[in-house]
Amino acid sequence: MLRAQRHRQTPAGSKGGLQARMQSMVVFSVGGQRLAARTEEIGGVMPWPGATVVPSETPFVVGLVRQEKGCLPVFDLAAKFNRLVEERDRLCLVVKHVDGPLAICIDSHVPSLHTIARSAVQYRAGNDPDIAGICIAGDEELPIINLTTLGVSSNRPA
Amino acid sequence: MGLRGHNALRESGGQVVRFLVSLIGSTHMAFPSHWVRGIVTPAEASGGGSVTWAHAVYERTDLTDRFSIRTTGVTAETRLVLYANEGRARCFAVEKVLGLIDVERDLIQPLPAQFRGKERERLLGFFVEASYVALIVNPFWVLELPSRNNILEVFALQVSNGRPGEFDSRLKLSSVVLEDPLPVSAGSAR
Repeated sequence: MLRAQRHRQTPAGSKGGLQARMQSMVVFSVGGQRLAARTEEIGGVMPWPGATVVPSETPFVVGLVRQEKGCLPVFDLAAKFNRLVEERDRLCLVVKHVDGPLAICIDSHVPSLHTIARSAVQYRAGNDPDIAGICIAGDEELPIINLTTLGVSSNRPA
Repeated sequence: MGLRGHNALRESGGQVVRFLVSLIGSTHMAFPSHWVRGIVTPAEASGGGSVTWAHAVYERTDLTDRFSIRTTGVTAETRLVLYANEGRARCFAVEKVLGLIDVERDLIQPLPAQFRGKERERLLGFFVEASYVALIVNPFWVLELPSRNNILEVFALQVSNGRPGEFDSRLKLSSVVLEDPLPVSAGSAR
């Protein structure tokens, strides 16, 4: 459930060297906020199954969604960015989080796969440890979100 | 009168825990049923909110406030659950009582590790039923008793092989809810 978009940011060179100079990113949106994430941090995308609200004091960890016989915890990324995801046709982004699989409710716009030159990716530490840096995907400059450690070290709104 | 339903969520023989399932806000909350002493209507409560039932006084505790859950307030479906053990007695309001369910111990799952706050003291885990996911409330937290390890072991019952409902239940509901009792049925774990 990913749309592939290869951009012409590819410098010439050997295949191995080329791969070393490229970074695969998934671009998705949450309440209209466009974000990029490293492809290896994504477990899958599925229709949003609806969540069970959990009375939680962990910031942004707000519920459970069903997956097979069990449930995944829900991280409310929209709330972190003070956004609202439209209820219609929402999708569930499954993330490979360090504490186990995690579900994020995202906009209905299907995430797209981008292969980006490393020179278009800038990792830098900022105030928000959930943001790894920025990248240029197509014509957009997008924040890169650290999905695997989401919420682990940051309890602050963005 | 009887409870609305009594279901089973089992995949094999073994230990089960019996829960009273209710709605608080939009969330299904399951309470180990051995400490349920009764279920009454709000009209049974005295002015201070406590309930005297069978010569015991049940002080009111507001779980919606303690959980920070928004509710619709008192409706015709609202009930007070009388809950007690070890000399501690409390009553609390729920928006609806759904009934009893026997859940096999292995089908009870802990809260995922991403939940790192005080909810870990309040909730023991959850189970997945066909039509809902129920959060299991820590009965020691409800009664404001010191908590302990392996709480659900306290409430586990041994079931006879392949005979749902055939076990030594210490549950004695002294009162009741209830319109339209549902037939007992054996649920599946999907």
